[in-house]
Amino acid sequence: MAETPVLVQPDRDGSPRLENFRRAVYRFRTNTLSMIGLIMLIFIVVIAVTAPYIAPHPEDALGKTRVTARLVAPNAEFPFGTDNVGRDIFSRLLLGTGLALQVGIVIIVLATTIGVTIGALSGYFGGWVDEILMRLTDIFLTVPALILAIAVTAALGKGIINVMIGIALVWWPGFARLTRSLVLSLKEEPFVEAARGLGASHLRVLFRHVLPNALSPIIVKMSTDFGFAVLTAAALSFIGLGAQPPTPEWGSMINEGRDYFPQQWWVATFPGMAIFLLVFSWNLLGDGLRDVLDPRSRR
Amino acid sequence: MLFRYYFLRRLILIIPLLLGLSLLTFFIARVLPGDPVGLAAGPQATQEIKEALRREFGLDQPLPVQYVTYVLDLFRGDWGQSLYSRRDVSADIAVYFPATLELTITAIVFATLLGVPAGMISAIYRSQLPDHITRVLALFFVSFPAFWLAMIFQLIFGLELNWFPIGRRLNALATPPEAITGMYTLDSLLRLDFGTFALSLQHLILPALVLSFGSLASITRITRASMLEALDKDSVRMERALGIPYRVIVTKYVLRSALIATVTIISLEFGWLMAGAVLVETIFDWPGMGLYAVESSLRLDFQPIMGITIVYGIVFSLINILADFIVGVLDPRIRYG
Repeated sequence: MAETPVLVQPDRDGSPRLENFRRAVYRFRTNTLSMIGLIMLIFIVVIAVTAPYIAPHPEDALGKTRVTARLVAPNAEFPFGTDNVGRDIFSRLLLGTGLALQVGIVIIVLATTIGVTIGALSGYFGGWVDEILMRLTDIFLTVPALILAIAVTAALGKGIINVMIGIALVWWPGFARLTRSLVLSLKEEPFVEAARGLGASHLRVLFRHVLPNALSPIIVKMSTDFGFAVLTAAALSFIGLGAQPPTPEWGSMINEGRDYFPQQWWVATFPGMAIFLLVFSWNLLGDGLRDVLDPRSRR
Repeated sequence: MLFRYYFLRRLILIIPLLLGLSLLTFFIARVLPGDPVGLAAGPQATQEIKEALRREFGLDQPLPVQYVTYVLDLFRGDWGQSLYSRRDVSADIAVYFPATLELTITAIVFATLLGVPAGMISAIYRSQLPDHITRVLALFFVSFPAFWLAMIFQLIFGLELNWFPIGRRLNALATPPEAITGMYTLDSLLRLDFGTFALSLQHLILPALVLSFGSLASITRITRASMLEALDKDSVRMERALGIPYRVIVTKYVLRSALIATVTIISLEFGWLMAGAVLVETIFDWPGMGLYAVESSLRLDFQPIMGITIVYGIVFSLINILADFIVGVLDPRIRYG
């Protein structure tokens, strides 16, 4: 029996989610700016990983000082000059890269975890749960995050860990609001009703059916917030609440350089540029991600 | 009629929100670790001195009693005293708040003047070179640490080019205008003192400009998105078919509907800028709420911090209501319930 030619299915493995992902990757790759951001970011990550090997004076990040070479202007040995105790700023910047990335990631992951949990519970269960959680969220949103973060961090005590905790503790309400609104609209969908009808537990419906479909906007918010989180952490460090010497934290390095500005401009200028490069490359990337994942802004 | 009730209800709802906020800041101040009294009394202070200080500020009372006393005093207008300077918090805020308000208003005006046209250009030249340039520029400016940019601007425009003074609200020699609003530029104008006005304006421009960058990106983005949406409408096609010049369509019909979203974001950004002022004020020695908040935080002086958060809470809530009000005026279709 001759085989009748059937309509040839395009080569797909059946998962619509994977296909959506592929399409998103394609759209992302056509966005030049985001690709530039991605490449810059990969470069920064490589620096963070290899810093201990490529930094000319790695011991400077641990508190080694050079009394004879205080506030040396940029030259061949010290490409970005030295600070007030003679440490090589270039090496300290390289070795601080990992910390800067970590700070941003920890803040966003913590804030997302808290916010998504609260938002999901609030939206899914509604009623008095919603009422209580949303009033709590409202209270946090009444005051600018930076002001609350300063207060919380000050109360917890100085230090980079407390900066991360302090910022995350005031950062989650945005995620809670977003997740709640997503869950509210998703829980009316027929597939949620079907899952409930088949006897799935609340938790299973929430985590297996509702939240995966709310992922895109949450990821977009995570990516756009990352840059702000890095800036906020740097700001707290700059104020003096963050990393204590000799930690090579960029924000506190600017703080140390402030006393010598503008005569010894290099002490504060280069750390600022490092923060800018990290945030800028991330923002370029995030702009592309938003175009890809948020259908409303796709134009 | 519904309109009026809606806003009255919103205004009344601020009160429970502020109560919640005061509870939150009270929790931060009293329950989290940290030894404010030890810090205020100094390292040499004996246990007796610390105890006396604690008694004086009522910190030896049980926490619920402390909280209730605090809230009752708050309603009476007694915002407590700084543990450090012993000055009244309300008196300090009365001096610092207008300074921050002046800075933030100027910054939001700058951000609007720069951001809205940029967003319009972006939308009109969608996916063309001007669009790409404005988008990159907006992302570029928002990526700087504000405090660092403030220092660089001081160096370039203050010290090198000598265009602007690099700090404080007035020269050391100048006397501030007699307070009406506490905003130097406005007060000097009201008192027809144009010399002081020019001087205070000079001091204001640089910090306000740095501050405005933080809001540029979102204002540009929202204006662009809502302009695009408005340009896509059938009515625009109709107007073009009728032969109305494109420029007139954009400025007369598109802009009005596009600005609704922009107004909302501008009001939200106003609140953010007020917070961002913390950093700019630190660099420019601008004696406002931000500088006050930072100094108080570093000293664990929580009475001012609690007062500051309450003030921010009031301002934030009022701005949100005001934004809804303006949007309601711009877009009569919106219903309130």
